[in-house]
Amino acid sequence: MDDALPIRARAVTKTYGTQTVLQPTDFGVAAGEVRALVGSNGAGKSTLMKILAGAIVPDAGEVRVGGASAPLGKPIEMLRRGVACIYQHSNLLPEMSVLDNLYLGHFAARRFGWLDRRRQREQAQALLARHRVELDLDGPVGNLPTVKQKQIEILKALALDARVLLMDEPTGWLSVADVARLHETIRGLRASGVAIVYTSHILDDVFAVCDTVTVMRDGQVVADAPISALTRERLIELMVGDTIARQVEAVAQRPAPAAPQDAPRLRVTGLCRQGVFRHVGFDLHAGEILCITGLVGAKRTEVLQAIFGCDRFDAGAVELDGRRVAFKSPREAIAHGVGLVTEDRHREGLLLNLPVAENLILATLRRYCRGPLLQGARVREAALRWIAALNLRPPEPAMLVQALSGGNQQKVLLGKWLDLRPRVLMLDEPTVGVDVGAKAEIYAALRAERSRGMAILVVSSDLEEVMAIADRIVVMAEGRVVRTCAAHDTSIPQLVRDFGAVVPA
Amino acid sequence: MNVHTLSGRQRALPRANWRTVAVPLAAVMAIALFAWHQPAFLGAENLIGILRQVAIVGIMATAMTFVIMTGGIDLSIGPVLALSGLVAVLSLDAGVGLPLALAIALGLGLAIGLLNGSLIAFGQLPPIIVTLAMLSIVRGSALLLGGPDLHAVRGQLAFSFIGTGSLVGLPFSVCLFAAVVALFVFAQRRTPLGLLVAAIGDNERATWLSGHRTRLVTTLIYGLSGLSAALAGLVLSSQVHTGSATYGEFGTELDVIAAVVLGGTQLVGGRGSVVRTVVGVLCLGALNNAMNILDVPIDLQLIAKGLIIAVALGLGQLRS
Amino acid sequence: MIRRPGAAALPAFFALTVAFFCVFAPRFATARTFEDLLAGYSFVAIVAMGQALPILLRGIDLSVGAIVALAGMVAFDLSLIAHLPGWAVLLLALAAATLAGAINGLLIVGLRLQPFIATLATLAAYRGVVFAISGRQRMPELSTTPLDDPWIVSLDTSFDIGGALGLSDALALPGIPLSFVVTLAILLILQLVLSCTRVGQALMAVGGNAEAARLAGIGVSRHVVLAYTLSGLCAGIAGLLLVARLTTATESLGNGLELTAIAAAVIGGVSLRGGAGSFWGPVLGAFLLGVVLMGLTLYGISQFVQQILTGAILLAAVAHARWFAQHRVGPAAAAPG
Repeated sequence: MDDALPIRARAVTKTYGTQTVLQPTDFGVAAGEVRALVGSNGAGKSTLMKILAGAIVPDAGEVRVGGASAPLGKPIEMLRRGVACIYQHSNLLPEMSVLDNLYLGHFAARRFGWLDRRRQREQAQALLARHRVELDLDGPVGNLPTVKQKQIEILKALALDARVLLMDEPTGWLSVADVARLHETIRGLRASGVAIVYTSHILDDVFAVCDTVTVMRDGQVVADAPISALTRERLIELMVGDTIARQVEAVAQRPAPAAPQDAPRLRVTGLCRQGVFRHVGFDLHAGEILCITGLVGAKRTEVLQAIFGCDRFDAGAVELDGRRVAFKSPREAIAHGVGLVTEDRHREGLLLNLPVAENLILATLRRYCRGPLLQGARVREAALRWIAALNLRPPEPAMLVQALSGGNQQKVLLGKWLDLRPRVLMLDEPTVGVDVGAKAEIYAALRAERSRGMAILVVSSDLEEVMAIADRIVVMAEGRVVRTCAAHDTSIPQLVRDFGAVVPA
Repeated sequence: MNVHTLSGRQRALPRANWRTVAVPLAAVMAIALFAWHQPAFLGAENLIGILRQVAIVGIMATAMTFVIMTGGIDLSIGPVLALSGLVAVLSLDAGVGLPLALAIALGLGLAIGLLNGSLIAFGQLPPIIVTLAMLSIVRGSALLLGGPDLHAVRGQLAFSFIGTGSLVGLPFSVCLFAAVVALFVFAQRRTPLGLLVAAIGDNERATWLSGHRTRLVTTLIYGLSGLSAALAGLVLSSQVHTGSATYGEFGTELDVIAAVVLGGTQLVGGRGSVVRTVVGVLCLGALNNAMNILDVPIDLQLIAKGLIIAVALGLGQLRS
Repeated sequence: MIRRPGAAALPAFFALTVAFFCVFAPRFATARTFEDLLAGYSFVAIVAMGQALPILLRGIDLSVGAIVALAGMVAFDLSLIAHLPGWAVLLLALAAATLAGAINGLLIVGLRLQPFIATLATLAAYRGVVFAISGRQRMPELSTTPLDDPWIVSLDTSFDIGGALGLSDALALPGIPLSFVVTLAILLILQLVLSCTRVGQALMAVGGNAEAARLAGIGVSRHVVLAYTLSGLCAGIAGLLLVARLTTATESLGNGLELTAIAAAVIGGVSLRGGAGSFWGPVLGAFLLGVVLMGLTLYGISQFVQQILTGAILLAAVAHARWFAQHRVGPAAAAPG
């Protein structure tokens, strides 16, 4: 590689505790090149991005910007050298105005650091006009919807006029129109010589806008090629490795079982919550997997949480086995045999600093008690049973959950709820950040429970996943149900069209 | 480092390194050095004296371990300690029988703790502020009740037994301390409460979503802290035969927190051990004793305590 | 600065409370009372402004009371034992307080300690230092010697506005103590820095979301240390004003002041979650507390009840702030981190 590349990393590596998340890696991007950085979660993409942006310090290696070595681990140094990054997590200050957020850290100032708001405001308005976005510059960011906040994050990076632009999953929250606009912006930047690194799970994006692609797996670069040289299947194969890719394909092709005829185990009718969702209704039968899908922002999580008792609903009914219920807390829902595998396993699902065994029995604690005593032996036995059933690696009940990989962590979370033997199990985005091997194992577990009569409700934005496991599908958009159908009556392109359906007021 | 998990005594992975044992090790070394220099230090009388000294702080530190494990803190224990002793003494003076006097004092401590807990858990207010405010409220109430004076208690042999009596050769206060420790260790290792305290400290929302009454448990934990402070107050008043609203003055909560922190429990919550707190209590007691033997002035002792907390916590942070 | 919807509540409440006591408490509505209020609570207002900075950064400073005592005792020793000239005494005392604040900041940043435990530890340490250097202990006869250096004593002057305007015959106006003028000056400087400079913007950012500030290139550690250093400096200024008023320094100076300062800051709308607040709020909060406590004193309520009330007011202020925050939460509340 040429030394005068806009950005180049040489032999960077990163280890957390006992896990090496990034093996010694070389990576460089040329001016006017849009490089896709793909790989499953845990492949090391985010780590590499953060090293390039100066957000974290690598354990070894160096990063050169424009040929000169740059100090590591200091965002300010990279920013000064014209490297900007759009991170996956929100980095906005909710109490500050949009203007202050956009130019945080480099706000226009006069002598003695006195802020020049007028000049900054003019620049901001020019920026908004150039990218055809409308925003109230003085309102607090915290009051804006997530989609707008994501736009501000993107504008924030664009305002820096960087020579290198790093984008970590920039399109997750955006509508189809916004994604197209973003791609247009990227093409414009490419034409003016900016080097761009683009990571995404959405392969369509990658093929639409990138020139070259770097594939990472298990912390290493496994391929580096122009995008024209790869097909979609070949790309997936490189990401996950041969045999598993074939496994996933095989599983996806299995025909769906016939729709069950008996009375629904869970029936939701006309569920409303002011300003969030309206007239949501569906039936869920025993021995069935129902997928609720839609764009992020369709408020599916909110529906699940309303059913589970985390949040209220204003109108409508939920019936469990024919009897009307309205859970006021998760405790009540669990007592009735309803479980919820939440979306964010780190924030809402797992006790990271506690061992696997303690996590597995957290929801069923009472069952392992005799009187006031907690019976350690029975807990250990149950833990070993689940470790075997879910193929948890490493098979160590005393291991702290934070030391496990994302896929194994998700399996622990699933095991916790399966231990409840619920009559209805709801799962919210159950395979986000999970490697394909673990994904397949989770699907297998769900199918096994389905054949044992469990009624399973899955919220998922991953259409491949939906088509792989659903018996029936419900599409939601902007808080309303727009379509209910059997899986074999629809297809991915049809679902994408449903996502963008205009919802009557 | 061994972790007492429900699946048996196993090595918690990833392995802990030398830093977890650095502070207790340093303390033991310092004590050994000191004992070699001053043999009287290891005499039975002095050791039992240390135990008697630490019983009061120890009772409070044991309960504080649970509070800190939930990610909270209780700064109001000093005034609760004072109020409890004062109320007991005044009740006895007024002719109330011993069991009732004790019950009132302990009940008051429990009630204040539960109030703290409900403001923190149900009111969602920050523990530092709530217990800091309660510190002021309880201190003011105690002063209102008994003024800044010392109220002596006379002729109450049964009451005096608590602080000065002996059982199987050990001071009764030490036996109480041991009993409280045994109770909390049992709760931590063998009851669901122990797991819930760690779970709430690690991730309260996840614990709530798993169907547990987290707010109730948190309230209970603060109630236990108040109760333990009240018990400690009874021991103190019994030892000095006096009740006063001025006891538990500044420094008490510092000693208690220092003991918990020395034992390795981190302030962010989630992980912690009652047994290690007891080690911390004993180390601190030995240190206090040593400083007294060496005639270290009170001001330097304060500085030393501040330094110890800072260093112990700093080392704990370096580990993560 | 963003206009916060509840911002008008505090001044309104303040006016109401003053009106209440004017009507119901004997001898409240006099010039003397207001002079006492200003003289007696200006230093609280200064410490409250200092306290606002760590709270803005999601921290807390429990050692301010000890730093007040430290500044006072340093002034005492340097003036009565070392017989240094007044201006040197003031400078050195302020330097000591600023250093104490900086140490707080460095402990929090360097050892990565939680602010409350770091300042709890330094609270003990600084009180210890105050005892160790105490001139009153070393030379007991000095405990009855008043400080009479003109530089120090002049800190306790009052300005007779009424006399200057020639109104003293018609209206008994309160004299304005210098400490109040100092309060206003500090308020002006700090508020301007917070609203109109990069440093102020950086402080708000670090308090609102330290990681976001770091990724935007703001030096987090630097600003944390700055906040605690300024808190120490404010405590030092307050300490000197107190010593001037009392003409002596004691080891227990500023005992319990941290509680009042935190209460004033919280009442003044500084959010304990960081990233939101002002400096005029704590000032108003301090004087509001002063009005309540002095009004109650005039009403005949004992000092112990006042201690209870300070705690209760703090609880009420925190509960109110919490309730308010929960009810104005926007649609982005469910947004992922």
